Amino acid sequence: MEPFVLEKEKKERFLDRIRDMVPGGDRLDLCLTCGACASGCPATGLEGMDPRKFLRLAVLGLDDQIAGHPWVWMCSMCMRCTHACPMGINIGAMVYEARNLWPREQRPKGILGSCDMALRNSSGSAMGISEDDFEWVIEDILGEVRETQPAWKDLQAPVDKKGAHFFLSQNSREPGIEPEEMLPLWKILHIAGVDWTYSKRGWGGENYCMFLADDQSWEKVTRNTIESAMDLGCKVYLNTECGHSTYSVWMGQKKFNIDTPLQIEPIVPHYARWIREGRLNPNSEWNRDLKIKFTVQDPCQQVRKSFGDPLAEDLRFVVKACVGEENFIDMVPNRSNNYCCGGGGGYLQSGYNEARLKYGELKKDQILATGAHYCVTPCHNCHDQIHKLAEHYQCGYHTIHLWTLLALSLGVLGENERTYLGEDLQDVNLPEA
Amino acid sequence: MVVGGGVAGIQASLDLADSGYKVFLVEKSASIGGVMARLDKTFPTNDCSMCILSPKLVEVGRHINIELLTLSDVNTISGEEGNFEVSITRHPRYVDMDKCIACGLCAEKCPTSVPDSYDGNLASRKAIYVQYAQAVPLKYAIDPESCIKLTKGKCGICRKKCPTGAVDYEDTRKDIFLNVGAVVISQGAETFDPAVHDTFGYKKYPNIVTSLEFERILSASGPYGGHLVRPSDEKEPEKIAWLQCIGSRDAHIGARGYCSGVCCTYAIKEAMLAKEHSKSGLDTAIFYIDIRTNGKDFEKYYNRAKEEAGIRFIKSKVTEALPVDGTGGHLIRYINESGKRCEEEFDMVVLSVGLGVTNQGADLGQRLGVDLNHYNFAETSSFSPVESSVAGIYVCGAFQGPKDIPSSVIDSSAAAGVAGSRLSGSRWRLTKTKEVKKEKNVAGDRPRIGVFVCCCGTNIAGVVDVTAVVASAEQLPNVVYAEQNMFSCAQGTQDKIAELIREKDLNRIVVAACSPKTHEPLFQETLQSAGINKYLFEMVNIRNQCSWVHKQAPEEATQKAMDLVKMSVAKAARVQPLKEPILQINQRAMVIGGGIAGMIAADNLAQQGYAVDLVERQARLGGNALSLYKTWKGEDIAGFVKQMVEKVEKNPGITVHAGSTIKKVDGFVGAFGTTLEKEGCREVLDHGVTIIASGASELKPEGQYLYGTDDRVITGLELQARLARRDESLDNVETAVFIQCVGSRIPERPYCSKLCCAQSIRSALELKENKPETEVFIVYRDMRPYGLREDLYREARQKGIRFLRYNFDKGLDVTNEKGCLKVSFTDFVLRRKMVLSPDMLVLAAAIVREKNDPLAGFFKVTQNDDGFYVEAHLKLRPVDFATDGVFLCGLAHGPKPVDESIAQAQAAAARAVTLLSAGSIPVSGTVAQVNPRLCSSCGVCVSVCPYSAPRFSEKTDKAEIESALCKGCGLCAASCRSGAIALKGFDDQQITSMIMCA
Repeated sequence: MEPFVLEKEKKERFLDRIRDMVPGGDRLDLCLTCGACASGCPATGLEGMDPRKFLRLAVLGLDDQIAGHPWVWMCSMCMRCTHACPMGINIGAMVYEARNLWPREQRPKGILGSCDMALRNSSGSAMGISEDDFEWVIEDILGEVRETQPAWKDLQAPVDKKGAHFFLSQNSREPGIEPEEMLPLWKILHIAGVDWTYSKRGWGGENYCMFLADDQSWEKVTRNTIESAMDLGCKVYLNTECGHSTYSVWMGQKKFNIDTPLQIEPIVPHYARWIREGRLNPNSEWNRDLKIKFTVQDPCQQVRKSFGDPLAEDLRFVVKACVGEENFIDMVPNRSNNYCCGGGGGYLQSGYNEARLKYGELKKDQILATGAHYCVTPCHNCHDQIHKLAEHYQCGYHTIHLWTLLALSLGVLGENERTYLGEDLQDVNLPEA
Repeated sequence: MVVGGGVAGIQASLDLADSGYKVFLVEKSASIGGVMARLDKTFPTNDCSMCILSPKLVEVGRHINIELLTLSDVNTISGEEGNFEVSITRHPRYVDMDKCIACGLCAEKCPTSVPDSYDGNLASRKAIYVQYAQAVPLKYAIDPESCIKLTKGKCGICRKKCPTGAVDYEDTRKDIFLNVGAVVISQGAETFDPAVHDTFGYKKYPNIVTSLEFERILSASGPYGGHLVRPSDEKEPEKIAWLQCIGSRDAHIGARGYCSGVCCTYAIKEAMLAKEHSKSGLDTAIFYIDIRTNGKDFEKYYNRAKEEAGIRFIKSKVTEALPVDGTGGHLIRYINESGKRCEEEFDMVVLSVGLGVTNQGADLGQRLGVDLNHYNFAETSSFSPVESSVAGIYVCGAFQGPKDIPSSVIDSSAAAGVAGSRLSGSRWRLTKTKEVKKEKNVAGDRPRIGVFVCCCGTNIAGVVDVTAVVASAEQLPNVVYAEQNMFSCAQGTQDKIAELIREKDLNRIVVAACSPKTHEPLFQETLQSAGINKYLFEMVNIRNQCSWVHKQAPEEATQKAMDLVKMSVAKAARVQPLKEPILQINQRAMVIGGGIAGMIAADNLAQQGYAVDLVERQARLGGNALSLYKTWKGEDIAGFVKQMVEKVEKNPGITVHAGSTIKKVDGFVGAFGTTLEKEGCREVLDHGVTIIASGASELKPEGQYLYGTDDRVITGLELQARLARRDESLDNVETAVFIQCVGSRIPERPYCSKLCCAQSIRSALELKENKPETEVFIVYRDMRPYGLREDLYREARQKGIRFLRYNFDKGLDVTNEKGCLKVSFTDFVLRRKMVLSPDMLVLAAAIVREKNDPLAGFFKVTQNDDGFYVEAHLKLRPVDFATDGVFLCGLAHGPKPVDESIAQAQAAAARAVTLLSAGSIPVSGTVAQVNPRLCSSCGVCVSVCPYSAPRFSEKTDKAEIESALCKGCGLCAASCRSGAIALKGFDDQQITSMIMCA
């Protein structure tokens, strides 16, 4: 192989260019080459790259080795390396900037297309579901449930309700593909007596422009949804069970200095609070004899990257309340130290499927080591990836959203809301007809 | 006053007390010893920690001029240097120290067990306790937090059981006020608590332990009796991992940015010892960032660990140790040399935790107004490394920065030296001297032997039938009295023995107890106090040799104890009083070497009131420091040297002999006669002590990396000289490359030159500062800016200096290609060949010493394979030579930076003053003597003696032995083929009598 020749630089180095853009960017040069990042990174070895090597190339100014390297799409920017780094170097944010070294049109089509789609319509939906289509789907599914489930004849799913306390974001996947998956959450909100609303404008929670490392577009999508919530006079911007949308709004608001009185909050701590306040009373009795084991995936975007271990604790509190303390098994490592599943960073849309499945092996092994039948993921991308890992590696576990489990334990999970449950739970704790 | 009774405080106290000052040693716990007392073995010699510490503990406990204040905290200090008012709170011990005989009955019956922090909480102790068996003072204390009598008013068993009525539940805290002239703070450090930012599950999983806990696991006095087992199932582990830099070199919450400096070497030690302990071929792996074995002889230790012991060294920081279901083991993921992520299971994981200032330490520092740095270590200047920001308050040991035992000991002697130099006016004013009793002449009297057999609590009596040993001793010839003692060494017993000597007219004493190494001087003092010669004493070690090693066979142990006593009694009947000649100490000192170390030593001695001859080979003083620019902290060395030279030259107490070489040395401690030659003229100087500070030099790596053929290639020292004179050529440098370890850490020179990493970084920063657009690369094997120097390393990275770890095995080449310098090597992380094109190449060259230094022969001191002088003991006597009256410091001892050279020079001066200030010293009576009638003048004794005590008499041509030099080792006596040499106290008749009755 040709040697690397370190010449005195003529042009500004990549690292110098991004120093002001990366949070804690003054630390980028501090690498001790200790290997803490690489030793705990699921992407180590993919395309012969690892986080230490990548940073090293950048520190040494070997920019041409970085530019256009496909590894930037194989790193999910989960920031486990940053968490481990004794120098606190934000390698994740550096990879984000390195994605930018790719010409926009050459970036992975799936991510690019989803971002552009969201930019094309005011709904913010990456799947291109318009404001009106969204409202139609909501009303359609709402009508159906009121008709087929008499107990829920008063179920509400308000759209553009002025002055509602919570503005709830929605990932396009449910209205686009599996609208019945929205019902458990509506039921939960109903039981807890929550004052909430969807909006037509900017209802789409997802933000592929963030994965595309397209700052301008990320900001545009985030601004659109935040402004919509502000227009409705809401107090809290409530992120649904979707890690990256939570992070994109939470981080986007800071990164782009979006001036807003809104509190930006994830939903898991609210579930926990509603249970603690007695507004939700999940019962794990159904599992007392079944003894079905559950584990949870801590979404990087909601735990390590933003809300930290307190959210992870709330997540466990809710799951345990639903399945019984003795039927919960934690995977190790967990909480802020958890491994990314490989669903983050736009991986699922990037087209690097082989790398993604390889990346996910660690997660698959972690889940299998728990012996759990179910992995609960309060995140769409985690859900999708962990589900796909089970299919690819032919594992027996099931992957479910937290709302499914919560609704099940509240005794309100309808028959057709059990797509992701296994055979063992199809008939358990069904609501009385 | 010395605050903190760890090894640093102990050394400072002893040096000060031996130099004529009254010392108060204040210790917060119930006994002195500190961290060192908890260690199993010490690196790099693998000496038993307690065995080498214990004599010092005993010495402190016995010292007439050291007053020990245990369970005490310093509250405030007011006043100024020379006159401080100190307020101290002494917390209640609840045990009367005068009455307690440490029999242990109280603890045996105490119903309350609590985790024993001394044992890393791996074992338990009682609410009434001594910290460890060899504790000084060996007096029980009640832990008021766990004692149920004190907390709930119940129980009271210990008071009932105590045979001497020592337990006092009504004991109260006392306020003590002292007036002292100087304060030495040696509060030490504590290990990092990994539970602060627990990513490993240290608190959750029993088989993840800290390195200090692992010391206890290895220790024979530890929770598992020295068997290598893991806590979860007490089974022997087959694989152990050490994770380095836990809480050090880390920016995480609770962790510290600096390097703790000791963990690499202690991890190597622990891994080597664990392998020795293991029965099943233990597999050990050390996960590291850089291996920093930069202390003296540490690199060889590292090489031995790697090459001989087969310890695996893996350069990968590890951030988790995942529990493996049901096995008690842990899975470690790391990145290997080829960049692959690997997984490996280990039975046990040891966290190599760093050192940090205790909260109490920081509090005290703040209360006293001592400046602390951002890590709460005491702030000091490189030029006065043991002086705090408050005049008269000195710091040493790990309170000044993370450091190992030798450095702590050097610092503490230095603190004693500097404190002593400021207080020299009041030397011997407040001290007491031992009363010398007139000795009764017993020569010619029939032996009347007294035998005292010690139970040592249960230590001996638990195995050996002490009563039976006493009964058998009573029957032996010449024994007129025999008895057993609970603790023969207890103050009360000592008084009783003295009384019995007088009452029963005993003229030979045999004590059957523990080791003479630690306790013989104590009993000898008792004999002296009773008015008989101290050599009329024999000691039998029935603890180590009977009860400890034959625990399983008490009957045989008892029989062996009886036999040993019988042998000693036989010998005792034949021992004769011996005289200890008194040697006068000439009050002048000679310091050899006029570099920084020599000048500092001379200056300190002069300040302490002793005349000094300072000998320098070169025409001017200053040594290597004349080419140095700045210390790692950025202090101006040139200015300091200039000032020092002036100070020394102006000092009337110092006679500078520049341009002089030493031609001949006669004499010995107290009376050296050294011949100097200057410009062909010879002069003999008389002096009582000698400090060797003859320095070392930087290697000129001729021929290597184009040095000497291409003038763009220079050494680190040459660069410093250019920086110092602001050489204009530096302005033209666009790209500078430093190569580390040039000539160091290679088979020819298997040592680390210690100072080059920080020096290169400092110089690199100067180049950057001079011209910010200069590209600077440092190519290295392991970066070793130890201790607080890690901050400098971080600053350098921050400022864009780029560090490249290269693969040493694949080599490094420097070539000249069409006029361009090319440096090529393989980068460790990228695993690719790299090429740099510097216009200045700086070689961080080794520190070297000539291997056949004539001084070594003159002063009968030894050099190691690398040419550096060998100190008396690497750990505890780092500035003494085995030859009495000769001390060393500076680069002659080993490579070290300026601040450490200065501390060592001050330490050497302090050690020298302990001799000078005494005025005279007694020489041991146990010396060899030649019978000239039998001597055949063969010369064997002259050649075998390691201390050069025998020589041929100029008059008679027969051998004679200089008793001042004789150590009583017996080598000459055993080697003499004519039977002309006898060792007093071990003559043939005495030894034969022992053998005959065995």
